Amino acid sequence: MAKLVKQRVTSVKHWNDTLFSFTTTRNGSFRFENGHFVMVGLEVDNKPLMRAYSIVSSNYEDHLEFFSIKVANGPLTSRLAKISVDDEIMLSEKPTGTLIQEHLSAGRNLYLISTGTGLAPFLSIIKNPQLYDRFDKIILTHGTRLVSELAYRDVITNELPNNEFFGEQVQKQLLYYPTVTREDFRNQGRVTDLLASGKLADDLGLAPIDPVYDRFMVCGSPAMLSDVCDILKAKGFSESRNGYLGEYVIERAFVTQ
Amino acid sequence: MTFVVTQDCIGCKHTDCVEVCPVDCFYEGENFLVINPDECIDCALCEPECPIDAIVADNMLSVEQMPLLAINAELSKVWPNLDEAKEPLPDAASWQAKPNKLSHLIR
Repeated sequence: MAKLVKQRVTSVKHWNDTLFSFTTTRNGSFRFENGHFVMVGLEVDNKPLMRAYSIVSSNYEDHLEFFSIKVANGPLTSRLAKISVDDEIMLSEKPTGTLIQEHLSAGRNLYLISTGTGLAPFLSIIKNPQLYDRFDKIILTHGTRLVSELAYRDVITNELPNNEFFGEQVQKQLLYYPTVTREDFRNQGRVTDLLASGKLADDLGLAPIDPVYDRFMVCGSPAMLSDVCDILKAKGFSESRNGYLGEYVIERAFVTQ
Repeated sequence: MTFVVTQDCIGCKHTDCVEVCPVDCFYEGENFLVINPDECIDCALCEPECPIDAIVADNMLSVEQMPLLAINAELSKVWPNLDEAKEPLPDAASWQAKPNKLSHLIR
């Protein structure tokens, strides 16, 4: 295990019964790329209990933020869900990950496809002003079962468009597409079905996805990743591997209990 | 679930995998690397990093690769941890396509 350091919790926000976010202090020496994940945890019985968490905050921010599920009998999340301001969490000093825009070849549109807490790395990514110089449109999808699980809607639709430095670019270039499977909502259905059928691009007024112009980052459950990879491969997209640029990159949304 | 270093790594040891592992679960022998299955968090980052595709998920192992599951578990308990990438073995290129690599494993 990489070296662990302690950080202090600076805020906690519970979205609903199953989801919460928290922010912590950050050491100046902790460097990461937007989209990275890192091991986060608590000391339980004098031993670190660590799980992988994508970093929600962007690398220029002076705090760290994480987005988590909470499961009543989950070894870590049941404890983590009870943290409050000034508590300490453990953090490894080795952030890493595949959701890095430099792994993608040049393209016109960037699709960020997420379900559940797979949204987390994309929040870091859409707060990176350089992203808006590299791509014409950034399409952020978030698929959940319930409307209450569409966390960070206010950040995406109100805060970022009003950001004093890059809010204008967000207004023009960021297309947010939340979709819900088990309740009434303006967009409904599984992200994978919306992608495969072409409804996603159509609803947003975009041309059908094309490996020449479109790039993808995907973060969700192993089953979701497998489905999205099948759809993209069938349409001629190739994954970035072995250090070669590709048209898409994928990563698991890690913590499931 | 864990990822497994297969026999393709023997004689090569590129170590790109080590650089990206979030939990530093690689252990190093003279001509081979192994993953500690109890420490691997199944994040899948190392698998596409390997330039010769020597790392495979445990549920995707071929019959020939199957013995490596136990070998990774066994040797990761006795070999030293490796937490930083290093130069590949000098003859990595000539070892890459060698058949029956497992017989060359130095324990």
